[in-house]
Amino acid sequence: MYQNIFNVSIFFIVFRETLEASVVVSVLLAFIKQGVGKSADDPTVYKKLVRHIWIGAGLGFLICLVVGGAFIGTWYTLGTDIWGASEDLWEGILSIIAAIIISIMGLALLRLNKMKEKWRVKIAKALEQSNIRGKGWFRHFTRKYAMAILPFITVLREGVEAIVFVGGVSISSSAKAFPLPVVCGLAAGSVVGYILYKGGDFMKIQYFLIVATCFLYLVASGLFSKGVWSFQNHEWVKAVGSDVSEEGDGPGSYDIRKNLWHVNCCNGETSGGWMIFNAILGWENSATYGSVISYNLYWLTLMMTVGLMLFKERHGHYPFLKFWTKKRNAAPLAQEEQKSPENEIQQFGSSDESRETKEALVSVV
Amino acid sequence: MALLARVTCLVLTTLLAIAGCQAKTVTYDFNVTWVAANPDGLYERKVVGINGQWPLPVIEVDKGDQLVVNMYNGLGDKTSSIHFHGMFQNGTNDMDGPSMVTQCPIPPGSSFTYNFTVNQNGTYWYHCHTENCYPDGYRQALIVHDKDAPFANDYEEEFTVTMSDWYHTLTEDIAPSYMSLYNPTGAEPIPNSFLFNDTLNVSIPVKPNTTYLLRLINIAAFVSQYFYIEDHTFKIVEIDGVYTEPTEADTLYIAVAQRYSILVTTKNTTDQNFPIVTVADTVLLDTIPSDLKLNNTNWLEYSKSAPYPQADIQVAQAQDLVPFDDITLVPSDGMPLLPEPDIQINVTVIMQNLMNGYNYAFLNNITYTAPKVPTLYTVLSSGNLATNSEIYGEFTHPVVLNHNDVVEIILNNNDTGTHPFHLHGHNFQVLDRQPPVGPNFYSNLNGGNPVNYDSSNHTTFPSVPARRDTFVLPPYGYFVIRFVADNPGVWFFHCHIDWHLAAGLGMLFIEAPTQLQERLSIPEDHYQACRAAGVPYEGNAAANAQDFLDLAGENTQQAFIPAGFTARGIVALVFSCISAVLGMAGISVYGLTDLNFHTMYTGPDAPNTTESVAMDNVQPKTEENTG
Repeated sequence: MYQNIFNVSIFFIVFRETLEASVVVSVLLAFIKQGVGKSADDPTVYKKLVRHIWIGAGLGFLICLVVGGAFIGTWYTLGTDIWGASEDLWEGILSIIAAIIISIMGLALLRLNKMKEKWRVKIAKALEQSNIRGKGWFRHFTRKYAMAILPFITVLREGVEAIVFVGGVSISSSAKAFPLPVVCGLAAGSVVGYILYKGGDFMKIQYFLIVATCFLYLVASGLFSKGVWSFQNHEWVKAVGSDVSEEGDGPGSYDIRKNLWHVNCCNGETSGGWMIFNAILGWENSATYGSVISYNLYWLTLMMTVGLMLFKERHGHYPFLKFWTKKRNAAPLAQEEQKSPENEIQQFGSSDESRETKEALVSVV
Repeated sequence: MALLARVTCLVLTTLLAIAGCQAKTVTYDFNVTWVAANPDGLYERKVVGINGQWPLPVIEVDKGDQLVVNMYNGLGDKTSSIHFHGMFQNGTNDMDGPSMVTQCPIPPGSSFTYNFTVNQNGTYWYHCHTENCYPDGYRQALIVHDKDAPFANDYEEEFTVTMSDWYHTLTEDIAPSYMSLYNPTGAEPIPNSFLFNDTLNVSIPVKPNTTYLLRLINIAAFVSQYFYIEDHTFKIVEIDGVYTEPTEADTLYIAVAQRYSILVTTKNTTDQNFPIVTVADTVLLDTIPSDLKLNNTNWLEYSKSAPYPQADIQVAQAQDLVPFDDITLVPSDGMPLLPEPDIQINVTVIMQNLMNGYNYAFLNNITYTAPKVPTLYTVLSSGNLATNSEIYGEFTHPVVLNHNDVVEIILNNNDTGTHPFHLHGHNFQVLDRQPPVGPNFYSNLNGGNPVNYDSSNHTTFPSVPARRDTFVLPPYGYFVIRFVADNPGVWFFHCHIDWHLAAGLGMLFIEAPTQLQERLSIPEDHYQACRAAGVPYEGNAAANAQDFLDLAGENTQQAFIPAGFTARGIVALVFSCISAVLGMAGISVYGLTDLNFHTMYTGPDAPNTTESVAMDNVQPKTEENTG
């Protein structure tokens, strides 16, 4: 079915990473436009810097594709034979891993503005440093192409993250299910980043992102539930032996003691439209107590997490931890301020290199 | 005076002798205990022995004899009973043997006497008829000699041959893995070997140019056997105690509990020994272990010095053999086709799982579940209600027959397996069976759907149909049989594969209950066994002796598995939907509060970090640029 050519989890991972990368690029572009590097004065410098940004991003993207392709390729040729008789067990483990990965990164989609601002601060702080040190060919190079190196490193980092996550969630799906969601994710992420840059209707974007995230979490909860279901199915198949496959949908194909509902049709693993329900919502025609309880627990945990995060944003600390948080914050604020530029710089790679970058940027300025 | 007495005595005995019915009483005393045996040379195990020996003693009587078997259960840990398979027990229903049908199970330490007249001839066998019993070796041949048989003078010597499957484990230890949550397909346990006369490598010594009678009996628990003798054909002269017109055949399919008597005429040579080949019907086996010897070779021994070759099996699989179709045999008494039936019973074999996850066997929608009182005792204690089938319980699947009714049973098979069905107390005319035994026996499996009997469209019934007491039901097929209900009693009709009987593949005929009440009285030792076993012997199927129509408390079958959503399933589904909706609401709230950040970072209350960044030519308000 459609699962053979479009893996929903891959789509969302690629979408999210592309979004973050395009946010970085758009922030850089915005800075350029605002006149960093005195580009407001000189159109040719502006054009050059813009080109740098795109070349850097593009190069990073290309390398990602190559690395990603190689990684996934070897993963598949090595990986597909291992599963065999414990198929359900593997599927269960991977489904749960996928669910966790998606869950963690999903909420970030809804804090785009926060993400954008974070990047602005980082880049701005990097630009403001004015230590000029060292000489040599490499320094000259980084100085000259600072605007290319930043996006290059960012895109590379986001890309590698994406590859690793995608590898994690997609072992059990076919190789055919790769290209389409990757392409779609790239396209969607770029489009949204562009809209952000252009300053399109914020509300519309936000609604879109909310809907996308809801969808994403439906998929994740389904995956989590299916993971638990797969574990229980694995136990059953091991206990009964090879006869389970004879029973198809009927009695004997599942453990009746652990069963919560069973209909002799609508099999989410094998029959047509129900497979979509299975992929998106985790629907099983033969649900166990485990799969249903885990589904509900997942949503409960999610709601609690959202609640906690909202609370922190509003009050600056987690519930009941007011005193502890204050104590932590009261301690060296100064040290924190000293530390943070260092920390932000770490994001850009080795501290040496980034200091060089800083110098380069400053010299451009 | 004494002389007169002696003369009278002599005259009387002579008259009796002339009358031919030297009806004597043959008594066997069976002390049933555990002994050890290793018949296949592979494994020594506990078996049920009689009088300390195993294989068990063959019961031999002459037609018309009174057979008395005094059984003592010395097993210590197991109940028991004896069913004399094929005996009509006309007027002696209480001697038939099946536990909870015509008697209580005989507990350890109790004695029980079977006493009945053998008014029939042929080849039979006896076996235990309580649960998980006879596959432990408690079975053996029962031969009724008849010097007036039509072929009595056609043979020089007779041999009895029993064929069997054999398990290395006690039946009661195998049974939990058969009726089990983890055996949802109801796969029957696979035997460890197959035996010939309860051993292997048997040689039957024969002389050349002589005719012998071989009595073949399948005493197995599960597996049918193909039987043939290399390079020999034979004539079938008896099936299940019914003499037939001698009919030539070369291969027989002998299902569990069936018997054939054949006349084999030996060759003119004495330089070879010929394999007698038995091939297990592998279609019945769910899996075939690699170390299971499916074919057995025994020999017609013409010469002790000649070699004993192994069978030369020409076929790749058992079902490629083409056996003789027993429905074509003609009984030698020429009994014509019975008239149109007074009662027609239409039942279908179905295998299905119930709520406990076990795979049960059904006739229609009932899987036989034993009552609390043996059904015969319910008949005898129920007075006027004996003809009301309700008192026998729903799950014993009882059908009341009127005395001398012509009964027709149409048995359809909605299962893909073959089933040898046996009727106690009678033999029956076999009228139709589709698909017939032969190369097309399994052809209905190709269609994927069972083919049930259509009374308006069937093969013509034979005018002198074959008769027997155990008949094979084809996969996805059917058979039609008829008999006359001339034998008052409670008679079990069931599949003789012991596993299927345990799974409930059977039903009861309550035949002429009123006549039964008039004619039958139960010996005290039978009731004594009931008392010792703690089983009530009065009352309905729920052991209610006050109100026979009140069946509260009867043994019921497990519930059927509901076809769709149950209440708890719907609740679970609704709850899950609510969780998801609430979760998504939470996400939406979270998403919308991002608005605050939007205004926070770009509005007038934007934090200091933005302003503290020294950026040349940077406009404080950047939102118009960045959205």
